[in-house]
Amino acid sequence: MICRTSTFRVHGLLALLFAGQCLALELRGLPEFFRPDPFGGIVECDRAGATWLDTVKLTAARGGYASFHLSATNGDGDMRESELSVEFPLPADIYREWFHFNAPDRRYYPDALIPVHSPYRFPIPEPDNRIPGQTAQAFWIDLWIPASTVPQMYRGQAKLVSGSGQKIVPIELTVLPAVVPEEDAVTLDNNSYGTSWLQEQHPKTLAQLEQPDGRARAAAEDQLYRLIHAYHGIFYDHRGTFHQLGYGHAGKVGPEFAPELSGAGRHKHISSWDRFDRHYAPLFDGSAFQNSRRGPRPIPYVYLPINPEWPASFVSWGEPGYQAEFVNVVSEMEKHFREKQWTSTRFEVFFNQKKRYKGFPWDGDEVRFERDNRYFVEYHRMLEAAIPPDSPVHFAMRADTSWTMARQFELLKGIVTFWVAGEGELTWYPDAVERLKQRGDTIWTYGGTPPVQSVTTGITLNPLRSWINGVEGFVRWQTVAPGPDPWFHLQGGGETLVYPGERFGVAGPLASVRLKIQRNCLQDIALLERAARAGSRKKIQQEVAAAFNGVPLAEWGNNPALRSNKPVLDWDNADIGDALRPYEARFANLEPSAWLRVRRIALAADGGGR
Amino acid sequence: MRRVLLIFIAALQLTAANAKKLEQVLDQIAKTATVMIDGDVCQKIVTPRAMEYMFRKDPRDPWVGGDNYDVDDASFIQVKKILIRLAQLADYPVDVNLWMPLGGNPPRVHVAIRNRYEMSQFWVWGALTQEMFPEMRTVLRTGKRVTVERKRGFVSVLAPVRNSLDDIVGLVEVVSRTEPDARENVK
Repeated sequence: MICRTSTFRVHGLLALLFAGQCLALELRGLPEFFRPDPFGGIVECDRAGATWLDTVKLTAARGGYASFHLSATNGDGDMRESELSVEFPLPADIYREWFHFNAPDRRYYPDALIPVHSPYRFPIPEPDNRIPGQTAQAFWIDLWIPASTVPQMYRGQAKLVSGSGQKIVPIELTVLPAVVPEEDAVTLDNNSYGTSWLQEQHPKTLAQLEQPDGRARAAAEDQLYRLIHAYHGIFYDHRGTFHQLGYGHAGKVGPEFAPELSGAGRHKHISSWDRFDRHYAPLFDGSAFQNSRRGPRPIPYVYLPINPEWPASFVSWGEPGYQAEFVNVVSEMEKHFREKQWTSTRFEVFFNQKKRYKGFPWDGDEVRFERDNRYFVEYHRMLEAAIPPDSPVHFAMRADTSWTMARQFELLKGIVTFWVAGEGELTWYPDAVERLKQRGDTIWTYGGTPPVQSVTTGITLNPLRSWINGVEGFVRWQTVAPGPDPWFHLQGGGETLVYPGERFGVAGPLASVRLKIQRNCLQDIALLERAARAGSRKKIQQEVAAAFNGVPLAEWGNNPALRSNKPVLDWDNADIGDALRPYEARFANLEPSAWLRVRRIALAADGGGR
Repeated sequence: MRRVLLIFIAALQLTAANAKKLEQVLDQIAKTATVMIDGDVCQKIVTPRAMEYMFRKDPRDPWVGGDNYDVDDASFIQVKKILIRLAQLADYPVDVNLWMPLGGNPPRVHVAIRNRYEMSQFWVWGALTQEMFPEMRTVLRTGKRVTVERKRGFVSVLAPVRNSLDDIVGLVEVVSRTEPDARENVK
């Protein structure tokens, strides 16, 4: 308080700068991996090695993003109206960071990102976040560097102005000649189930969806499709893909996921493509992404609604009518897709059902009982009967596997060509990845999402481990479930990377800090992959492994001998957890700056991308 | 105001009439189900090993029951096909679910077969077993059909399933709803 009184008596720029410091009006930068808290500090799990920046200095490749945080502080805790502006010669996206009260550890973390426009007027603290004692508001800044940008240094600034003065943070971005490849080395897939969650999270947008048939409902359905496209779009913009399973464990199919069917037996056929096409056509032809900086591109993967109850009714299972219904409808689908030239998307025949949900007598997902594999063989036989051998449409049988993956890889050779394996368990079969790829199969792994209370670098581990182990994709099994009250009572956020925007007047999803960090990591992996292809993969991966966490490259694989020798039916989850613990321990205790060290390697290893 | 009130009352009467009609159809299906479903086959659906694991409590692995849940395919398929055909007796969405008691103290029950509309007034999504419901206990004890309207807009008729010894060994839930939800349980 004494400081404030005295500094206001001094005039000139120098005095203003001093006033800023002494009044605790502050604007400071932070590298992306150090998340600010609402009290002018850094969240505890990201503090190691954190440095506040008076000047933000970044180096980046073209065709990608460079990012950082800004923290605007008012130590008084008074409601002060301030204005933030970012002046930069390249496109700069500004997001207000929402501080979630996280129930598991009762701390605050920034995650949801609310887009704002420069200049942005706001009070410190912003009252809607309802944080007692809040003194700082954080912002995420994305600098977009088009591929056509001239490589050079770009300078700009972030400016915070309030009634008592202003603070400036200079921004210096060195743009390298390298261009981030459009294709990712690891497909980062974001999974979800159905659409009922969209109604829960976007009640205003979808209020008319349950109306009786008519114009109001048709309009509401179009709103639903736009919303679905927005979810695909946000993950696409962040270098990911989005999967939405369209049926339940007993075979109920959501109306937007399948064409309408009529008839039975030999007379079963598709009677309407209306909803299906309104939903999927913009995704399969890429037009849903026409406003994306990445440009329009068809989605690369999609679940089909095929399950044991669709398109053939299970009442005819094992009889000629089942095959007749299956082949009729799937043939019509192939023809429709071919005529529409939807040939860039892989249409997945994927069985998600499990016996424990009591719909069907076999597990399609994570087969544990070996005899269940015979159903895959039967469906493959029917699929072959439905699809012409020279079809340009890409159908693939996909299986998600864990308990019996080694057996399934052999038993279903030539049947299943797209594998999504439990990430931990797959490490026990070090030769499998290469063997599957050599025979033309696709191999991804699956797992969870680090919650907000994990160190930021945690979100980079799965993509990096996938790249190092030669796996082509990683599925986060649930990425759109923020929980009933994500704003004031987040449950860790381990099942979401996006948040509903309705609260802030955004008719779609909001990105998160974790999603942005993951995107930037994927940019770097794409650069590393190009360098690996051009030079020595092993050498680059050794460097990356050493920089990331010091674990030698040889130890990124697992020791098969640690796998339980018990028969699979005698294993349980605890056995698997115990057996994987020594392996996972190698990747515990990551430093927040770990990825910044990897990025330096990625940017230095240009690999001919100029 | 009076007009609005009259319209509201008329709508309520219409809804009540629809529910009554629905109940009658479901009751007919339930009555037929008791005759058509073979309780001996139903008793063979869950494998002995899976039955043992359903009751196992493992503090280190909360999913041990589900991971070891297994069925005899032939029995499951035979009964499921009959349940599907029974549901087709109505010309609107109806599910016929099979429930089997599990014993225990307090007694438990589990849905053994669900169907394509994924409707139930009793099943909690993902539950492997559940506490016995009083309405189900009544059916198992008395052999009489019971109509249940626990959840708004749902109607279920519970009816007994008997084996060759004439013991009541299970029950069916014939269920529909007045306002279908096209997206519920699509997950």
